[in-house]
Amino acid sequence: MTPALVCEGLVKRYGDKTVVDRVGFHIDEGEAYGLLGPNGAGKTTTISMLVGLLRPDEGSVRVGGIDVDEDPVAAKRLIGYVPQEIALYPELTARENLRYFGRLYGLPRRELTSRIGEVLDLVGLAGRGDDKVDTYSGGMKRRTNIAVALLHRPRLLILDEPTVGVDPQSRVAILDRVEALVGDGMSLLYTSHYMEEVERVCTRVGIIDRGRVVADGTKRELVAELGGTDRVELTLDGDVTAAADKLRVVEGVSEAVVTGSSSIRLLVAGGRHLLPALLAAVGDAGAVTGVEVVEPDLEAAFLHLTGSTLRD
Amino acid sequence: MRALLVVGGHELRSRLRDGTAPLIALVAPIMLATLFGLALGGDDDPPLKATIGVVDLDGGEFPASVQREALNTDELKGVLTFRQYPDEAAARGAVDGGEAGAALVFPAGFSEGVGAGRGGQVSVMESPESPLAGVVARSMVDRISALVEARTLAVRASLEAGVPADRVQVFVEENGAAGPALSLVGDPVAGGRVDLAVHYGAGMAVMFAFFVVGTTARSLLTERQNGTLDRMRAAPVPLWTALVGKSAVGFGLALVSMCATWLSSVLIFGASWGDPLGVFPLLLAHVFAATAIVMLVASRAKTDAQADGYTLGVAFVFAFLGGSIVPVYNLPEWLRGVSLITPNGWVSAGLSELAGTGAGPSAVLGPIAVVTGIGVVAGALALLGFRKGRFA
Ligand SMILES: Nc1ncnc2c1ncn2[C@@H]1O[C@H](COP(=O)(O)OP(=O)(O)O)[C@@H](O)[C@H]1O
Ligand SMILES: [Mg+2]
Repeated sequence: MTPALVCEGLVKRYGDKTVVDRVGFHIDEGEAYGLLGPNGAGKTTTISMLVGLLRPDEGSVRVGGIDVDEDPVAAKRLIGYVPQEIALYPELTARENLRYFGRLYGLPRRELTSRIGEVLDLVGLAGRGDDKVDTYSGGMKRRTNIAVALLHRPRLLILDEPTVGVDPQSRVAILDRVEALVGDGMSLLYTSHYMEEVERVCTRVGIIDRGRVVADGTKRELVAELGGTDRVELTLDGDVTAAADKLRVVEGVSEAVVTGSSSIRLLVAGGRHLLPALLAAVGDAGAVTGVEVVEPDLEAAFLHLTGSTLRD
Repeated sequence: MRALLVVGGHELRSRLRDGTAPLIALVAPIMLATLFGLALGGDDDPPLKATIGVVDLDGGEFPASVQREALNTDELKGVLTFRQYPDEAAARGAVDGGEAGAALVFPAGFSEGVGAGRGGQVSVMESPESPLAGVVARSMVDRISALVEARTLAVRASLEAGVPADRVQVFVEENGAAGPALSLVGDPVAGGRVDLAVHYGAGMAVMFAFFVVGTTARSLLTERQNGTLDRMRAAPVPLWTALVGKSAVGFGLALVSMCATWLSSVLIFGASWGDPLGVFPLLLAHVFAATAIVMLVASRAKTDAQADGYTLGVAFVFAFLGGSIVPVYNLPEWLRGVSLITPNGWVSAGLSELAGTGAGPSAVLGPIAVVTGIGVVAGALALLGFRKGRFA
């Protein structure tokens, strides 16, 4: 089967800054792929090249077997692109927005009306479709933003941080819809700097940092790379920087980073057994008020691969 | 094509909805053209009169015959009056006081100098209040200069050919380069003969074409900021669809605006802009150039407010330099040449031909070609900018 998306060796430079550096991955038909990385990692720039908005300096993109550079119109027909920022006409209603973009995507007038009803339903806005977009809450705007990309029944849905600035309720609703769409057979590229979202929605994950995909695989594969390493979250009162320095040299600790004014994240081989040594190491740098040992997860994998945290 | 129509239809609806299109394309230019026309052109100065002061320090044959010839010119019959002043100071006072629209000064020994092949120079005084008199006076001087030059050459050639100095004048006159056969036909006075209602009507139409296209340029930038431009570019249509669709609407609205101002000027003042078959292509070429120029500045803008500012600046500077606000002949000499780098200047020159001399469409082929050329160059540069700025 033709993969939904294949990109190879994508490079984008701005001046002498390489923002996307030889990025390559593939998404199988019907697969949900997550691109996980902190702000500024190059996710949006990568997506812009995938959907034909930005010409890569190097590399190639094929969508459903079609080269985006050779036949951009045919490739774009397969893609439903949801930009990171809300891209709607605020002075128009959701229905008017959908009608305009639907026409631009070549949907015939008659079919369009019923299709608009369907996607409004799908994102849970059936009752508010005739209200102006600028009267919407952040979550409703986000859902309309997604609805536009669904009109033409794309085979590959590309979501760029679709839950930024959204209330928890809308967030859950959005994730539910996305999962349902994937369940119906749509391929998905999902970018986020929220580990939980990617873990929940995606079957395979690429970890992107400073323009590079540093690892790529199922969650299980990525976590397995950690070996028997656990993630330990320490809370303490005192000098976190000094404490982190002391912890970093403890036998068995592979990473120690400050994640807040009173928190430190550690990667520790055999976490549980090493707890006493950790507490001792902190010593008079601070008073430990909380310890949490977390099963290996993507957050730990990210720390292991990049030596930094997803959110800064 | 279908996608272009979708984008264009959407753009047109947006322009109509926010009310900028009717205001900037129709109300403002027509109102301003009418107000300017009422205030400065039209009937209270019927039909056109010019009083030119003459300071004849020469007293010879030349100044007298120049005046005689001018008064006998068909175009100036009933328009031109000469008034004599004893010296430059008196003439200056008359021009400043509005008694004369302009004045010509013939220096002492002028006729003699010309006769002897030494040449000679006539100077002009003008007043901004009487552009017509200024134009007539200046065109007279141009003609006089040409004559003087021809005479001077003839005299020199005769002298060199061995004709004795005391016989030269007679010899030259016998051989064709006779007295000041001054023919002030059509052309030189055209600028002055164009009714000011036409001048201001055309000026406003030409200037507002920039503003009308500017609303589209602004919306292009707004859409880039809002991300809707990228959304259009991500649709299965060529990348330039949004840009071209929107520009086409700007072009169309500007054309409607210019034609409406033209029509209003004809209806309100009964002033003809000349042969419609010449006027329309000229306006069409201008709209094309204005669209390309505005899009060029928009392609360099980062925000919609910046695009607005750039458009405003370009429109006013071009309007000023190109004679859309102040007639070109009122600009200082060194600026008059500059007017020809603006489409405004060419359109104004073209309309002078059409309205002033009643020339046919073929008379404006030159201006049309130049204005279109300006548009092509600006358009090409705009496309480069748009590519770089992720508009297309
Ligand atoms: N047009 C541009 N010019 C210069 N730098 C840019 C441009 N667009 C993005 N960048 C830089 O590229 C990096 C990656 O940006 P982006 O792809 O938006 O990251 P992400 O979506 O992962 O947050 C950032 O450091 C950003 O500043
Ligand atoms: Mg981003």
